[in-house]
Amino acid sequence: MSRIIACYKWVADEADLKINPDMSVDLSKAKGKISDYDKNAIEAAVQMAKITGDEAVTLTYGSKKAKLSLKDALSRGPSEGFWVNSEKAEQADGAASSKALAAAIDKIGDYKLIICAEGASDTFARQVGPSVAARLGIPCVSSAIKLELCENELKISRKLEDGIEIVAAQLPAVVCILPEINRPPIPGLKSVLDAGKKTTREYKIEELGLLESDLSARTETIDFKAYVMNRKNIVLDGETAADKVKALVGSLKKEGII
Amino acid sequence: MPGIYVYSDKMKQAAALIGLAAQSGKEVCCITMDSNQAQELKQYGPDRIIILNGNSPLPENYAESIAQLIKKEQGELFLVASTVRGRELAAKTAGYLDCGMVSDAESLVFEDKRIISSRLMYGGSVVQKAVISQLAVVTVPAGNLEAVQKENAQVSIVSLEVQADPRVRLIETLAVKKDKIDLAAAEKVVCVGMGLDKQEDIKMAEELAQVLGAEIACTRGIAEERQWLPVESYIGISGAKIKPSLYISMGVSGQVQHVVGIRDSKIIAAVDSNEKAPIFRAADYSIIGDMYEIIPLLIEELKNA
Ligand SMILES: Cc1cc2nc3c(=O)[nH]c(=O)nc-3n(C[C@H](O)[C@H](O)[C@H](O)COP(=O)(O)OP(=O)(O)OC[C@H]3O[C@@H](n4cnc5c(N)ncnc54)[C@H](O)[C@@H]3O)c2cc1C
Ligand SMILES: Nc1ncnc2c1ncn2[C@@H]1O[C@H](COP(=O)(O)O)[C@@H](O)[C@H]1O
Repeated sequence: MSRIIACYKWVADEADLKINPDMSVDLSKAKGKISDYDKNAIEAAVQMAKITGDEAVTLTYGSKKAKLSLKDALSRGPSEGFWVNSEKAEQADGAASSKALAAAIDKIGDYKLIICAEGASDTFARQVGPSVAARLGIPCVSSAIKLELCENELKISRKLEDGIEIVAAQLPAVVCILPEINRPPIPGLKSVLDAGKKTTREYKIEELGLLESDLSARTETIDFKAYVMNRKNIVLDGETAADKVKALVGSLKKEGII
Repeated sequence: MPGIYVYSDKMKQAAALIGLAAQSGKEVCCITMDSNQAQELKQYGPDRIIILNGNSPLPENYAESIAQLIKKEQGELFLVASTVRGRELAAKTAGYLDCGMVSDAESLVFEDKRIISSRLMYGGSVVQKAVISQLAVVTVPAGNLEAVQKENAQVSIVSLEVQADPRVRLIETLAVKKDKIDLAAAEKVVCVGMGLDKQEDIKMAEELAQVLGAEIACTRGIAEERQWLPVESYIGISGAKIKPSLYISMGVSGQVQHVVGIRDSKIIAAVDSNEKAPIFRAADYSIIGDMYEIIPLLIEELKNA
């Protein structure tokens, strides 16, 4: 039995971002969540492990805030949760994150498949999965919408701009999945209770043979400001629906649109 | 030789990237895996074209070879167009090079010793500017960039024998029948969201589109999850970016990942039953109401207008 590792990121919920008057962004009140599409990655790992008889586990690289994520992740079915705990994660870029994750995957060992999502909800950089593969020296297939295990190869359907491509990858490999691959169920009460009994494992970066300096971002952020959107924000009022519609058509005429 | 390396699996975007890289004033080297493409790309005037000869039809399998080439020649930047293949190839190359990467840079400003990039974060709510001052990989959404031909350019073309990664092999390609939709060029757009109850209700949106002379678009869920419209029809950070004179939505909540694709619209109008829907903050004209009541009335009103 080997491991199928789902990587998920604990991110600030973008719905809770507060914008200050000077357009700077306040993340301090934002609740954490498992990055949206990473729920699909966890589900894909759980499904695949059922078929192959392997063990689905999760891995996250995050600061102490990410501790909260472990139970949430495990309530989705995996049997063990790994967490690389470092405050450096707060300022990580794709290079640093992929380095931390690759080192952790090496340490966890005995892996058959690593599953990442297409992109994280905060960065949506779509780079960490392939970079992890390169750092581990194993193959990677992105944009996956279907996974099938045949012998020691993984058959993957991937979605490109102009069609579907089917490839076979030697294992171990990294796949980056699109959310269409499955519909993760909302964990039931029993799953949530069971999650509390599962094993979690915390790594400090020194245990992974990394130095703090290895995990510094390679690009320096010089500005982080809210996107300014200036719109008229007129809510069309009226007694009846027909009045509102008339008001809309009137406005569009005035704008010279129709 | 230090300089900028560019690659795209799409010819038009590769040509556009050559022009973008040339803005830096540095040497531009275009990478391709196809000698016919090399001949095609010559007219855009990169300083060099390197043809990688390997034995895989998948460009992504050349990431390690590209990393080795860039390392050996001490390249400064690898620019790749943001396509599915391009992103994967770029991120793998960055991993092999152990260097920084900026994904989907909305703008790149070349300064003397550094590059200032900007990109969107948190689905489009935030703009992040970063400085690149050492070797890096950058992907650029190049679909709308224009390529410029350069007359009488001196282009050196060389072939390099390389070992493509054999561990991912192509089994087959299934081309999907494409309905030719060019939302980016649409003058008006009617957008449907998950507020739509049934697939056949798209008829209502089509009728509205017809009276307005608009194209039909949708949110990601309608295309990807419910598959009621082709994937080219969805707007947003992972879909199309549009700039029509009018965008009108029905049953679209207006999450930032969608709104980021409509920001360049001249007028945004929205119909949604939830008065708290974020789409209203992004809209010029809003109607709070049931689209099954509003849209038929709107179609009638427009017919009489
Ligand atoms: C990394 C990432 C990338 C993403 N990229 C994209 C992208 O490119 N494009 C995209 O669209 N989304 C994208 N999304 C998804 C996005 O976050 C939203 O989930 C999605 O846009 C919501 O689609 P929707 O508005 O159709 O559905 P919902 O959010 O479910 O909204 C439906 C709306 O319909 C309204 N409604 C229901 N019934 C009626 C009625 N009878 N009359 C009127 N209104 C009604 C509801 O009030 C609600 O506001 C992305 C998400 C992530 C995490
Ligand atoms: N800090 C992290 N911990 C675990 N997985 C991560 C982390 N960052 C990124 N990933 C994985 O890589 C994917 C792509 O992230 P990104 O390249 O930032 O868009 C995410 O969806 C996760 O699956």
